[in-house]
Amino acid sequence: MKLNLTSGIAALAALAFSIGVAWANPYKPYEGTTIVVSWPSNNHFKVAETLVEEFTEATGINVEIDYLQYLKLRDRQLLEMAQAEGEYDVVSWVVMWKGEYVNKGLLTPLSQMYTNAGLVDPDYDIDDIADAYLQNGGVVGGQLGYLPGKSGGLYGIPFGAETSILAYRKDILEEQGIEVPKTYDELIAAMTKLNEAGIPALTSRGATGHQVTAAWLFHLAPMGGRVFDKNWNPVVNSPEAVKAAEFLRHVVKTGPTGIPSYGFGDMTTAFLQGDAALYLDSLKIAALSRDETRSKVNGKVGYALHPTDARCGSETGGFAMGIPANSQNKEAAFLFIQWMTSKDADRRIVELGGDPIRISTLKENPMGFDEYPVVAEQLPCADPDWRPLIPEWNELNTDVLGQALTRVITTEDDVQAIMDEANDKIRAIMEREGYYAWQ
Amino acid sequence: MSDTANPTIDSARQDQPTPVKSVKPRIQAGSLTPYMFVTPAIIVMLGGLLYPIFMAFYLSFYDWEIGRPFSDAPAVGMANFIRMIQDEQVWEVLWVTLRFGFWTITIEMVLGIALALLLEKPIRGASFFRTIFILPLMVSPVVVGLIWRYLFDARSGWINYYLTTWFGMEPLVWLGDPQLAFFAIVFTDIWQWTPFIFIIIIAGLQALPSEVVEASEIDGANWWQQIFLVKLPMIQSIIVIALLMRIIDVFRGLEVMLIMTGGGPGRSTELLSLHIYKRAFETQQLGYASAIAVLLILVVFGLSLAILNFANPMKTRSDV
Repeated sequence: MKLNLTSGIAALAALAFSIGVAWANPYKPYEGTTIVVSWPSNNHFKVAETLVEEFTEATGINVEIDYLQYLKLRDRQLLEMAQAEGEYDVVSWVVMWKGEYVNKGLLTPLSQMYTNAGLVDPDYDIDDIADAYLQNGGVVGGQLGYLPGKSGGLYGIPFGAETSILAYRKDILEEQGIEVPKTYDELIAAMTKLNEAGIPALTSRGATGHQVTAAWLFHLAPMGGRVFDKNWNPVVNSPEAVKAAEFLRHVVKTGPTGIPSYGFGDMTTAFLQGDAALYLDSLKIAALSRDETRSKVNGKVGYALHPTDARCGSETGGFAMGIPANSQNKEAAFLFIQWMTSKDADRRIVELGGDPIRISTLKENPMGFDEYPVVAEQLPCADPDWRPLIPEWNELNTDVLGQALTRVITTEDDVQAIMDEANDKIRAIMEREGYYAWQ
Repeated sequence: MSDTANPTIDSARQDQPTPVKSVKPRIQAGSLTPYMFVTPAIIVMLGGLLYPIFMAFYLSFYDWEIGRPFSDAPAVGMANFIRMIQDEQVWEVLWVTLRFGFWTITIEMVLGIALALLLEKPIRGASFFRTIFILPLMVSPVVVGLIWRYLFDARSGWINYYLTTWFGMEPLVWLGDPQLAFFAIVFTDIWQWTPFIFIIIIAGLQALPSEVVEASEIDGANWWQQIFLVKLPMIQSIIVIALLMRIIDVFRGLEVMLIMTGGGPGRSTELLSLHIYKRAFETQQLGYASAIAVLLILVVFGLSLAILNFANPMKTRSDV
């Protein structure tokens, strides 16, 4: 009996200890679990691999990464997430796919995780994540469907997110006596002057489809334009939209040779190889400029805010991470996402060569990068509504606008007429998809 | 009479224990054996060839997006086909495909046959040239797309480099101008597929009986007459097969265009197969993409039938 009592006390003590350990280590219940992550094979996600190893060491949760070229991710993810039991536990999506994923019921609302106290790190500080990034990459619902609102919800956390800034060749602008452009008028003047001096001015995307549309949208938001008004009427033939298209034509005429065939890679290469004096696109150019294996312009590049016109407004894009609805390891997946987007990880990823999502990291600027103060200043006016992230966007983006804008930059046809035609086509698609059912 | 004529058979018959029952199964087994041999091939054909074609037809009557369960996909009857007929994009890319097919196949046939005739004889270095000529055929289409994309690059491509430095020309925006981009993909296709025609034709030429050619020589036929009146008519069936294979391939292939131009600028290099790919995987309209795929099957089938009707290799073979 005495022995029984002693062993009972010992067992209770052991139980209490083990519970204590479990409380002290929220990862303990998921130790040995393997989660599969679908990531794009770009620089940010490649350097994050070191962080993933550190995550496994610290938590005991194993991670398998399935890398794919970013434009191929969507097909694969859709196929996996449509199964009853998918292979993926974490997916990273390009922000423009989030509406489609949620619309098809493929993602887990993060509220399911945030209501589980055992999973949520009290020091996480979600408010520190740049608001435009969080809205753009993770929020679905609201009145427009892709922005916050009373009917909106959080489905993902930004990771590998970005905004646009102006990068310029300090040496060339100084040589030509050109001030760093702060407005679009100044930018146009600078482009013209550079062109007259025989220097290719602004590099830009221009390939048919998504690329040329993105290039136009970069200028549309600051010029005060939108793709739709509040009632889903297309307004891509508005004076602002036509002005942005005409600006794009000017970019092609004064920029490096070949813009109508440039994707993101081609247009950055033009700048990195010294074939363009100006760059107005994703902040990723800064890290690329520093990489001397790819860049001839390291040390010659300055950064400035995205020029303003009718308003200030830079793009918000890149990726966000969430959990498929058919994941079998949702809790471990959430812990992974939380770890990878924590304050410590955000600082660490900067050291590794990736892009931060937190304001505190940008302000702290642990590596002393030139562009961080600019990005920190840019983010408050980054526009999460610079393109409509509705499920139909892909068709409008590639089929209608991508074609119309190619005509703008490869022909001398009347821009207003081209955009009028595109506007009619967009309206027909929106009608087909039932957007005017309540009008 | 027969008894004396064939005593061995008769004696054999007498030895047999009148096996009436065993004759019937032996005949059945004999007639089934060939079918048993071809059954695996038929199963593979049905599974690998007919099933996807059947599914393309089946899907074309549904409105299905990747990511949604197929059970939720509404049946839309002929709506996809009606939309296709009204869709100017489909006719635009079909026209691009036909133009592309016309230029590439015509030039490839002429060049391939000409090269085969030149290298048919055992001249010095013929085997070296033959190997060189078939090299492009060994390169994967994706790599071909990448190679030529960089060669045609407006800013740093070799083609522009030599045009500007040797000829003092302004750099051309090869892949960013609708006409030039179309020329670029035609050129690339000719580079890759002329060797295919060459290799088939040269095999045909080398298999020709030398007596016929020698006889024509004795009859006084000159080099041109030998080619146009003897050699080419004799390998007509091979030429038709090569032509058919190229036609099918032109409508099927999309990798090179996908890598080089993505179908742009505009739709100037968007072939029907690439358009189907974009419809299926970019805009996720699998049902509609299937309807266009049915059109593709019908066009290829129609063109193949027309050519076979005009010059059927089987018929030619039996005539010979």
